[in-house]
Amino acid sequence: MKNKYIFGGIIIVLFFAIMGYLFTETNIKYENDFQKVIKSAKIVKVTGSWNKSKKYVIDTKNNEFSFFMNDDSGNELKVVYKGTIPNNFDHATSVVVTGKFHNGVFKAKDILTKCPSKYQDTQTTKNS
Amino acid sequence: MIGNIFLFTALLASIYTIVLYYLDFKGYQNSKKLARIGYHIMTISVLFASLYLLFIIITHQYQFKYVYSYSDNTLPLGLLISSFFAGQEGSILLWILFAVIIGLFLMEYTSKRADLESRVMMVFVFTIFFLLILINPLFDNPFTYIWASEKFVNLKFVNQDYLNLPFLQKFIFQDDSNSTFFVKVTADLVALLEKDGIRINDFIINGVGMNALLQNFWMQIHPPFLFIGFAMSAVPFSFAISALMKNDYQTWVQDSLPWLLGVALVMGAAIMLGGYWAYGVLGWGGWWGWDPVENSSLVPWIIAVAGIHTMLVQKRSIEKEGTSGRFVKTNLILSILTYVLILYSTFLTRSGVLSDASVHSFVAPGKIIFIILLAFLSFFFLLGLISIAIRWKYLEVNFIYEENIWSRELALFTATVTLLGSAAIIIFGTSLPIFGNTVDISFYNKMTLPLAIIMAFLNAISFVLKWNKTPFKQILQDLKNPTIFSMVFTIAIVLLGSVYDGLYILLILFSLMALYVNSIKAIQIIRKRFSAMGVYFAHIGISIFILGVIGNGGYSKQNQIQLPKGEKVEVFGHNLTFIGFEVFDKEKYRFNVEIEKNGNIKNLSPVMFIVEMDNSMMREPDMEANISYDFYISPISYDDGRNKANAEILELTKGETKQFDNLQIRFDSFKFSEGFMEAMQSGEKMTIIAKIIVAENGKENEFEISQIIEKANRQSIPQQITENHIAQIVGLNAMGQIQLQINKSDSQITVPKQILTVEASLKPFVSLIWIGVTIMSIGFIFSIMYRIKEFNKKSLN
Repeated sequence: MKNKYIFGGIIIVLFFAIMGYLFTETNIKYENDFQKVIKSAKIVKVTGSWNKSKKYVIDTKNNEFSFFMNDDSGNELKVVYKGTIPNNFDHATSVVVTGKFHNGVFKAKDILTKCPSKYQDTQTTKNS
Repeated sequence: MIGNIFLFTALLASIYTIVLYYLDFKGYQNSKKLARIGYHIMTISVLFASLYLLFIIITHQYQFKYVYSYSDNTLPLGLLISSFFAGQEGSILLWILFAVIIGLFLMEYTSKRADLESRVMMVFVFTIFFLLILINPLFDNPFTYIWASEKFVNLKFVNQDYLNLPFLQKFIFQDDSNSTFFVKVTADLVALLEKDGIRINDFIINGVGMNALLQNFWMQIHPPFLFIGFAMSAVPFSFAISALMKNDYQTWVQDSLPWLLGVALVMGAAIMLGGYWAYGVLGWGGWWGWDPVENSSLVPWIIAVAGIHTMLVQKRSIEKEGTSGRFVKTNLILSILTYVLILYSTFLTRSGVLSDASVHSFVAPGKIIFIILLAFLSFFFLLGLISIAIRWKYLEVNFIYEENIWSRELALFTATVTLLGSAAIIIFGTSLPIFGNTVDISFYNKMTLPLAIIMAFLNAISFVLKWNKTPFKQILQDLKNPTIFSMVFTIAIVLLGSVYDGLYILLILFSLMALYVNSIKAIQIIRKRFSAMGVYFAHIGISIFILGVIGNGGYSKQNQIQLPKGEKVEVFGHNLTFIGFEVFDKEKYRFNVEIEKNGNIKNLSPVMFIVEMDNSMMREPDMEANISYDFYISPISYDDGRNKANAEILELTKGETKQFDNLQIRFDSFKFSEGFMEAMQSGEKMTIIAKIIVAENGKENEFEISQIIEKANRQSIPQQITENHIAQIVGLNAMGQIQLQINKSDSQITVPKQILTVEASLKPFVSLIWIGVTIMSIGFIFSIMYRIKEFNKKSLN
């Protein structure tokens, strides 16, 4: 049975090593405190609410879409998303964006919007 | 009521069946016959419950919450039937329905095999019993009435004749965010209606309808396939547990193998049907996105495939060595794990734990279901684990010889370890959101690449290796031709396709080698033993599949481009011209794009439309599929060129005046047409008119600006307010505010340009993915038939 265990063992150890390494490389944390988001150099998933008092801007020339987000303690974050406005964005209240803070704005590569309503089931839409 | 009676009868019958099969197992006489009767009662009850659900869906009985939530009057028959499994409760019923039908075949199958029936059926019915608990009458099930808990029903689904009922007013609510009206349907309201002689299904006359993403052909095929796979996966589990019960491991592998092959076939086909659905219709860009829902059905499939490999080793060593065989423990664990992971997948996708992480939308089903699912899962997992622990000492087998390095046994074992490694990685990544973490998609891509290389290599070498031991010289000799063949083609691919990534080159090399080895083997035996072809087909299929994945995953190109109407735009060697759009199905838009390549002209028509149900945008791609590449365009947006230029938005409250350029603009009042309130409540066509007063250099002018609203569509009528200003309403709310968009037309007015924005992509060799999977599925079918034939031959001797 020795060969079996040597072969299996080597493969398993090797994979767990690669997995551990890749996990630290690609791990994305959920974050709801914008002050931490600003300091983080890594890609994070930021949860917060869309600040409706500030209008979102659609820049068709550069194909960009930007809006402002707030966290629970009232910190504000400008989010820029390369792409078109997500479906249903006008009704969204809670937003999850994935990306990195860079040069004063949060560059999102992925937006997930939620439109909770006390009358209907929550609807989730994703853009990436 | 009727539905609940059927479901409850089924639940009781399942308990009865379990008990009587247990008594039969313990040796009580006559109990097997009674157990079978119990099973048939359960089957008939489930069948009737399903037929009844189908009946209430087709006859639009919206007094049932399930029917109201997932269907409506407009669905065509095929999709209407599909709404049976559009929601959680119905899909569990479908799962049970398939399980009881599969159980009939299983009963027939096991009754012919010694004393198997009582043990296997007992465990199998146990799995059905748990599913029946999930939709028992105490919880939400497909037959729950709409008023069982408070439910807000959109006013447009209510019969307009009853709107002026006096008591109704206090049940009507308005959602401020989108100014829609709802009726709160409760038991009180139903009682009041009944007092007036109004039946609730005359009161609610339409349903919410099916999610637009689900409204297409594949909805009728993909989910049923998946649930057949789910239901079937309980069979190998039952065989494993029943082997442990009797502490006899001689026959269970050969009994279980055809079923496990069946699970792999059906699940694999179901997963890829879902992939095709996502790719070809939904426009999610690719056929695979490492989405938690996709992952969690892939993992049990991988475990099942791993199990098939080690079961073959056990089966052979039982025949040759006369013990209970090699890999007994591995096989038992894998059989149990396949089912437990199906349950885990159900838990992940239905308990709502992943709602932040997935594109598949879930409705959190409430705490009770969450707990039951978790209990369900842990129970079967522990059952398997403890059974194996108890029998551990019987499972330790000493073998006369160990696996040689150059033996097929060891190659199969390594293949299993690799498969399990990839399963572990995927399940690890998928489960992370439970702990507030997640991984980037690149985690899966980077991780599976080295695993795929090992698998491709094993796929090539396994069939060169013989059982027990292979002389090294012979291996070298047998590998000579495959190596030359794959080297030549790999070099050709590298040069022609500019593939410079070392890992990809390695993967291509081994996949081609596997393709060659398996094809040669298949050709060699095609005359002698046609029925034994399955294994080679499956491996040829997976090699072709991997080549397709490399092409599509590693070398796709995409580009977002703007197509002004009538102008030729070049992308990836194709000339695209946006010709115009047409309206079909009332409110869907088909955008016609002419594709020209080397003088050949084709038309692609991606589709966009707004879904009334949730105001979201549906984007359906279109593609030109070839063997060597797919040219794929998915629509992003359409700009009719009218509004955007020099536009500004003014928000005005009633009576408020705002400055715009040299103009003073005052919003004076709304003007309502007659019958406005009724129209507003019923969602019929209505016109909103805002009176505004514009003062320019002290001169006042009065204007009426209107917006026509019909259902979810709003159409604004632009109004010239000065020589160079055009105003239109773009938004209004119940607080009495309007949003005015004012366009300034400068002296140099340009003709507005209509621009369609699309994402164009060139995806090489996607066709190989579908071809590979089809060949693999054919391989599975052959293998199942081969195993059944093998058994029949043996039992005749």
